[in-house]
Amino acid sequence: MERKYWNPVLETLPQERLWEIELKNFRKLLSYAKDHSALYREKLKGVDPKEIRTREDLRQLPLTDKEDLRRAQEGAGRGLYGDLLGVPWEDVTTFRQTSGTTGRPVYVPETYESWQWRVEAWCHILWMAGFREADRVFMPFGYNVYVAFWEGHYAAEKIGCEVVPGGALDTKGRINKMREVSATAMMSTPTYGLHMAEEAQKMGIDPKEIGIRRILCAGEPMPGATRRLLEEAWGAEVYDHIGGTEPCGWAGMCQQRDGLHVIEPFFLVEVLDRETMSREAGEGEEGVAVVTPLGRRSFPLIRFNTKDVVVRGKDGCACGRTSMMIKKVLGRADDLVKVRGVLFNPASVEEVLREEFPEVREYEVLLERKGAMDEITLRVEPEQEMGKEYHLALRGRLMERLKMKTNLRFEIEVLPPGTLPRYTLKAKRFKDLRRS
Amino acid sequence: MGREMVIFREMKDRVEGIERLALELQELGRGMPVVEKNTRCILSFIHALKFGISDVAELEEEEV
Repeated sequence: MERKYWNPVLETLPQERLWEIELKNFRKLLSYAKDHSALYREKLKGVDPKEIRTREDLRQLPLTDKEDLRRAQEGAGRGLYGDLLGVPWEDVTTFRQTSGTTGRPVYVPETYESWQWRVEAWCHILWMAGFREADRVFMPFGYNVYVAFWEGHYAAEKIGCEVVPGGALDTKGRINKMREVSATAMMSTPTYGLHMAEEAQKMGIDPKEIGIRRILCAGEPMPGATRRLLEEAWGAEVYDHIGGTEPCGWAGMCQQRDGLHVIEPFFLVEVLDRETMSREAGEGEEGVAVVTPLGRRSFPLIRFNTKDVVVRGKDGCACGRTSMMIKKVLGRADDLVKVRGVLFNPASVEEVLREEFPEVREYEVLLERKGAMDEITLRVEPEQEMGKEYHLALRGRLMERLKMKTNLRFEIEVLPPGTLPRYTLKAKRFKDLRRS
Repeated sequence: MGREMVIFREMKDRVEGIERLALELQELGRGMPVVEKNTRCILSFIHALKFGISDVAELEEEEV
């Protein structure tokens, strides 16, 4: 059988067969959630799982958002998880939590079974990206209560890779360790991958010579230009995926590196029109991803509104996989803001900078209210110290390109190299100070 | 039915067999952590295999 696939039959099933499996497991999950989760006992009152037959039927069910989870966590159920828990509390073996950037963190309980199910889904992601037994995978991040890269660690082990944890080291220490052990692969946020390459160069090391052949990125939307920049810096293939603490990692990139495959039938994914949340986006349309992880009983989650804004792709792929495709991840619905009446996506700034301004090493976007007006400022940090004339020219080019891309007028500040913060996990480059 | 599907049906039977044996072992070893905890791990991997293997085989069976 073809070793290109983790599961050659499942990954090449026709879409309608995948849907049949998902529907069956969705109904099973509904029944389970109604019986075992206080949250869904209430939320799904009057819903008969047998009556769900089509995707239209599915859309009649309520969505679950983070606020529902926060409220349920405060519920009467025993222990940390309140009404979220779908199993006896003594069966929980792993604690994870969300970062809490948009409010109180949500605590996510996993049993050994649910964790292994998550890991299995991640095996699909890694295998698709070409991770194999011969890889020595370096994990350059601080292991924490957050889910980031834990699944990747366990999945890489399960595949048979050799995993090297690079937790309690600084960036220089990590680069040295990667060289020392001859790592062939790594996982990181795009931001940190670029930062590591920058640090290696400062140490007099060409990142390409370290021998990393593939990098799996997570944690932030990664425009194509950023991916290409990482590939050039490391001389490696760079892969993306999308997921989160609550819904798990639910789509990954194959070796075509042209969009993300939904890990079907582990997840039932809907891409819904952002305005109404009641119509499925068609090919090429953008929408919000609504995800149901179908095999997780510790923390039943039905139609979770991820608030990830994505563009739906054309199903199927030259790699032979038949799953639903996500063409592009645009960013977080929370980050899309109206500025002077114009809808602004901060990810578009990254796209412009990475594609056309290689001399810009780091940046941040500030949105402030000055009097009655919203003002948007881009702070950029060039790779090296430049003269006044260069600053003026850069400022002019940036203003022009950003105006064209976003239809907004930006104030541009050019800062000395090394001024802006560097990030090891999720970067916080967009700051909406109107909210504070 | 293609050869791969025949294999999938056989694998589904084995998955169910392992599950049955693991449950029997768990029952026999009740009160012994070494058995209880290791069988729990086996059953967790069975859960993952059901998603990848048994579900596909069942789909074909339903069609037949």
